Amino acid sequence: MPSWQDFQPFIVSGLALGGVYALSGVGTVVLYQATGVLYLAFGAVGAMGALIAWSLTNAGAPDWVAWLVCVAFGGVVTLGYGMLFGPPLARRGPLVKAVATLGLTLVLFGVMDLLWTANGGQSRAITLPTDNGGFMVGQVQVTWTQVIGLGAGVALVVVTGAFLRYTKLGTAMRAMANDREITATLGVPVRRVEAAAWLGCGVIAGVAGLLLADLVALDATTLTFLVISSLAAALIARLRSVTLTFVAAIAIGLVHDLVTPIQSLSNYRDMTPFVLAAVALLVLSRHRVISLSPEEG
Amino acid sequence: MLDTASSAAAARQHPPLRRPGPRILVRAAVIAALLLFVLLALPQLLSLYYIDTMTQVAVYCVVALGLGVLVGRVGLVSLGQAAVLAIGAWVAARLLFATTQPYPLVLLEAGLVTMAAGTLIGLPALRLRGLYLALITLMLAGAITVVLATTNFPNGGHGFLGYNGAAVHIPAIRRPSIAASDPAYFRYSVVVAALMFLLVFAHIRTRPGRAWAAIRQSEPAALAAGINTTLYKLWAFALASFVTGVAGGVLAGAVHYLYSIDFPAQDSITLLAVVLMGGAYSLWGAIVAALLLELLPALLNNWGVSADWLTILFGLGVLQVLTTAPAGLADQVPKDLARLGRLLRRLPAGRRERPAPPGQGPAQEPAGGPR
Repeated sequence: MPSWQDFQPFIVSGLALGGVYALSGVGTVVLYQATGVLYLAFGAVGAMGALIAWSLTNAGAPDWVAWLVCVAFGGVVTLGYGMLFGPPLARRGPLVKAVATLGLTLVLFGVMDLLWTANGGQSRAITLPTDNGGFMVGQVQVTWTQVIGLGAGVALVVVTGAFLRYTKLGTAMRAMANDREITATLGVPVRRVEAAAWLGCGVIAGVAGLLLADLVALDATTLTFLVISSLAAALIARLRSVTLTFVAAIAIGLVHDLVTPIQSLSNYRDMTPFVLAAVALLVLSRHRVISLSPEEG
Repeated sequence: MLDTASSAAAARQHPPLRRPGPRILVRAAVIAALLLFVLLALPQLLSLYYIDTMTQVAVYCVVALGLGVLVGRVGLVSLGQAAVLAIGAWVAARLLFATTQPYPLVLLEAGLVTMAAGTLIGLPALRLRGLYLALITLMLAGAITVVLATTNFPNGGHGFLGYNGAAVHIPAIRRPSIAASDPAYFRYSVVVAALMFLLVFAHIRTRPGRAWAAIRQSEPAALAAGINTTLYKLWAFALASFVTGVAGGVLAGAVHYLYSIDFPAQDSITLLAVVLMGGAYSLWGAIVAALLLELLPALLNNWGVSADWLTILFGLGVLQVLTTAPAGLADQVPKDLARLGRLLRRLPAGRRERPAPPGQGPAQEPAGGPR
């Protein structure tokens, strides 16, 4: 069993990772509540934005332009998808809407593999300037990027909570999550609110993609399927509570990284989000209720 | 039903079985002819590259069939069938290396073990439906992929895992003695696939099929009608896993060498995409799905086009199917052809006839197209 010293750096990296998972998870949950779509293409959009940023940096563009393009790409693609495929599928259940986003995932995945092939053996990396600076907590080095990762997650949870409760747009989103039809009859511009939700989620996807590309790896497959970890956090929160998503995301990030120094389990640490989500889902639905809730068909 | 009145009423409601009508016989004859063509003529016509491809098509036909049963018949979306296929291939490879059992027995055992594993994956289905079930199967499949990356596929080593990491010369997975060559193994895989189709067909036409239809329609209503939904949902998972496990066994013999990198996570998503495109509701859809999944990449590879275009195509296909044609190509193409046929038949008639005066009957309605 490794010593406390060995675990310490992984606590820091786990918290940072968990913060970014929380970022993705909260974005997904808010969009799901507002539109009923579980955005499974979150990771792919972020990944492609990060790859575009990498190409731009390689071509000589200044860093901030690359990051801006990454975030903007996330927003534009997500908004485009929402406006194009949201209305035709609006009447269908959440499962159909989620599978449709899988279609978007495949398209993005194909484009990424086409334009940035993984076969060259060349490994790409994104470095943010905040990677270099940092400070010491005890005996552990903490980089500013990790602080940003955790900080962004916390900030988003707080800001989203306040936004949903205190602003007009946020209240409209909560109303739409409750019942879209009635909200429309109340005179709320549902299409515009939806567009705002899609755009917000897309921007968050871009930011999360950039951070994950820095913290984990700049690889299309890894980043696309890393969304599953944030999805696990959202699932544990039953796609409802933003705070619970945050807590679950931190937990997943922590457990995932803390398992690394344990030799016997280290190879299986990528199973963490799956196992946690599966256990949580099974425990939470142990009372068998045949309901007509939308998530359950 | 002890008295005659009620049994007479029952007899009137359930007329005695009639001989199958002409349409069914024609269909059966067409299928038999197609099967004979594929078994006898096709291997002569194709090059070895395409025979290998068609063997893969046969394997994935069965996998798509399993997923089609879950998605189309019962309404349970499983995003983990590629992992189930990997389990089937693993079990078959382990048995083929460790024992000298005849091939059909190995296939059966692989199917049964996979059935047990798949039913375990389906246990959450007892409590979850719809979106949650799809996500949990995705999670479990992801977990299995991670485990496989560490344990790898058997390659003739010893121990439970049968993996020898240090082996320099890796033995090939053996094939049945009667079907060692590629064309012969193709025929073997087609026969196995046909048997799996028959098994599923038998299920659909009897009580399980009716129960599944009732569950897909409305689970509370099915429960109220007295259908044991738990049993039938598990049965669906068991059947889908069994046929996928057998397909895994056939795959093991086809490729000779199995690597965990051949079963990536996105295969489950692509599989769902092609099953939706081919048509989850019809058995022909499974064949279309397998052709999309295996034949198209082989063709593109031959022509020097990247397979990524297909991934993009499948993504667009999913979007198209979900927004416009929920029953997929297998349902849409006959309908479109029928519509085309009606259009063609109407064209020359339209030029000759003048619009009929109101007093006369409606113009001659052409019969419905092939279904």
